[in-house]
Amino acid sequence: MSDATVALSIRSLGRIPGVAVMLALLLVIFSAVAPGFLSAANIANVLVQSTILMMLSLPMTLIIMTEGLDLSMGAVLTLTSLVVAIVSLATGSMLLGLAAAVLVGAAFGTVNGWLVAVLGIPPFVATLGTLGIAQGLSLIVSDGQSVVGIPRSVSEVYSATLAGVPMPIVLALLCYLVFHGLLYHTRFGTYVFALGGNREALKYAGRSPTRLLIAVYALGGATVGVAGLMMTARMNSGHPTAGLGLEFDAIAAVAVGGTSFERGNGWLPGTVLGVIAVGILRNGLNLMALPSSIQVASVGFLVIFALFVDGLRGRS
Amino acid sequence: MSLALPVDEAAQVSAAAPPLFELRGISKEFPGVKALDDVSFAVWPGEVHMLLGENGAGKSSLMKVLCGAYRADAGEFFYKGEKVAIHSSADAQRLGIAVIFQEFSLVPFLDIAQNIFLGREPAGFIPGSVDRRKLLADAKRVLDMIGFDIDPTVTVDKLGVAQQQMVEIAKAISQNARILVMDEPTAALSDHETELLFALIKRLKAEGVAIIYISHRMAEVFSMGDRITVLRDGRRIGELRPGEASPDQLVRMIVGRSVDMSYPRNFAATPGKVLLEVKGLSASTGIADIDLVVREGEIVGLCGLVGSGRSEVVRAIFGADKIMSGEIVFDGRAISGGPDEAARRGLALIPESRKSEGLALLRSVGDNLVVSALARLFPAGLFDPRRAQRVADGLVQQLRIATPTTKQAVGLLSGGNQQKVVIGKWLAAGAKLFIFDEPTRGIDVGAKSEIFALIDRLVTKGAAALMISSEQAEICHVCDRAYVMREGRIVGELSRSELTEENIVRLGMHHE
Repeated sequence: MSDATVALSIRSLGRIPGVAVMLALLLVIFSAVAPGFLSAANIANVLVQSTILMMLSLPMTLIIMTEGLDLSMGAVLTLTSLVVAIVSLATGSMLLGLAAAVLVGAAFGTVNGWLVAVLGIPPFVATLGTLGIAQGLSLIVSDGQSVVGIPRSVSEVYSATLAGVPMPIVLALLCYLVFHGLLYHTRFGTYVFALGGNREALKYAGRSPTRLLIAVYALGGATVGVAGLMMTARMNSGHPTAGLGLEFDAIAAVAVGGTSFERGNGWLPGTVLGVIAVGILRNGLNLMALPSSIQVASVGFLVIFALFVDGLRGRS
Repeated sequence: MSLALPVDEAAQVSAAAPPLFELRGISKEFPGVKALDDVSFAVWPGEVHMLLGENGAGKSSLMKVLCGAYRADAGEFFYKGEKVAIHSSADAQRLGIAVIFQEFSLVPFLDIAQNIFLGREPAGFIPGSVDRRKLLADAKRVLDMIGFDIDPTVTVDKLGVAQQQMVEIAKAISQNARILVMDEPTAALSDHETELLFALIKRLKAEGVAIIYISHRMAEVFSMGDRITVLRDGRRIGELRPGEASPDQLVRMIVGRSVDMSYPRNFAATPGKVLLEVKGLSASTGIADIDLVVREGEIVGLCGLVGSGRSEVVRAIFGADKIMSGEIVFDGRAISGGPDEAARRGLALIPESRKSEGLALLRSVGDNLVVSALARLFPAGLFDPRRAQRVADGLVQQLRIATPTTKQAVGLLSGGNQQKVVIGKWLAAGAKLFIFDEPTRGIDVGAKSEIFALIDRLVTKGAAALMISSEQAEICHVCDRAYVMREGRIVGELSRSELTEENIVRLGMHHE
């Protein structure tokens, strides 16, 4: 097939978003080459393993829609996961652990939002700074060691099922519904579109872009706190590098999902597909017993390819 | 005798009713500029009041005072005869004033309904939620009211300029706007879209909305206006009815002749050889079929309204924008290789925004002066600070740049001296043709004459200059010839003897 016919066939796919095409391609390829990929158990496994990434990618979508970025998410995930471990170990209560983690996450998010919205520091730099701080705090509170011996009530968050559906999937689904409702059915969601699309319009409408922007980052931090609980539950311990680099996968999933980094052009269902695409890619390469370094590189390729496909479609 | 009132008497009756909104004696001063000087202005319901003036006459300032973006230094506002205050955009909104700017205030990835009611969404059952059904119904009602037949769930990014303008108007109407301010609304519209807009304006008039309409197009001023106010240099020159003046008289009011300038220039009796020749130049930036010639020893003006394509022409000549067709011959050879080649061959583009495009403000005067000449001064690629210093010192003297030392940061110099540094930079690089885009913007009067004296000296030594200026008086004073542009094309060339402000305005404005 020549380049022209490739482009033409992609274009003829019409309104199907690039991420769906990508997902289909990945499914076909891995079904063929990765042993055991297509089994029900493995697919369920992919979905369960994608839940934490999903809980980072949903708020990341909103942040990117404001023409922002949150590089601190992975490090804050690590920190909140440790907070869950330490607090639940000390009090024996999963809920207290969760509450503490959400507070810490929201505090980091608020600081991020304040740095970006009030001080006007570029999001890339501001959240790179808080990434370092969160990472450092994680090493301090854990003393560089894993936190073990946490209560069973915490690990059950990951292992339990609800009507046969694994709890992580239930939680991630719940989280999606909340974000979907927030973005598409509330005033707040409408203003998120305006933050990236036309901040002046918000001012004319009598809404403060500063406060909204802080709220978006704070919401992101709080959601990462919930993800921290899932992380601790999944590993049955707190670990000082647990969330290392996960912000990269989250940004990749958002980009693959068709959310643009400009003008507030976001698409939340696309983020879900993007998360699953990243999850399938990593799982498939894992099954093929390829080293994790190749997995990281492949996520990079996925992002570039997805944007390339969307670029072709955009021009048609 | 007929019982009907004579026409002008009828007009007087309607004028006897109190205006919907009135400004009296509005003044607004910025450091060094009187943007508005004792301007009075009134609109009646159901009327279109046209606002005319050159670039910088004070129209935009007046708009900003009206919508609460600027606070007037002096003057009073009256709404239906009662004194009111406008201190903020909220005040203006309360009075029913809505401004439709050229830059739209729409959010691209929200739909039409969400945009119309941004910040005023109907609340749903759950706190914070939006009652989508009511939102769409309300939007539909507003769209019907202005006769815009479109699905309110379409996102704004899929709309053309004209449709976006309609959404803006719908937004204003939904806020119960009774006074609509439109800033050159037809500037980006096709003929058909313009007709639709005019139909809408007529409908709004019938509903008693007052419209303040800024325009540059003579035809629409006369066909759509009920009243015309002319502004010049921040002052109100006059108010009249369309029937009371011819387009020519209006042009004279717009231009006036209140300019005093003191940069004498020796016009070359016979200009030298052709330095730049442009033939049939078109570019995707909207310019087409541009033909122009600049000879050695000449200063050639390029005029027209802001947006007529002047900057686009010089950018295309300099290679900063890709050209689609046509030929540019410089110094006897075709030029086509982009800004690098243009600069190497001796073309200098001195842009309007010196701060962002022409100078490194934090670096020293000396660094800025030699930066474009590095390859010429140091062909081996090794920098010699003493040689650079000598060149910089020479330029500072030659151009009379007022700076304590060449080590001074350029950002600390006055606007006029910064301009000289930009010129010096290109002089060092061996430029033969200087292209100026608004060379005197943001420069005080004294420095202006110095800049023009400097340009004069450059061209008497065999260089040439092509100069864009919105100040017609300047063009008339210093240019040997001038081209006038309108809507991306050159619509006329004026020789030294034909070069008057009136002729420039007459050619530059839409005038059918």
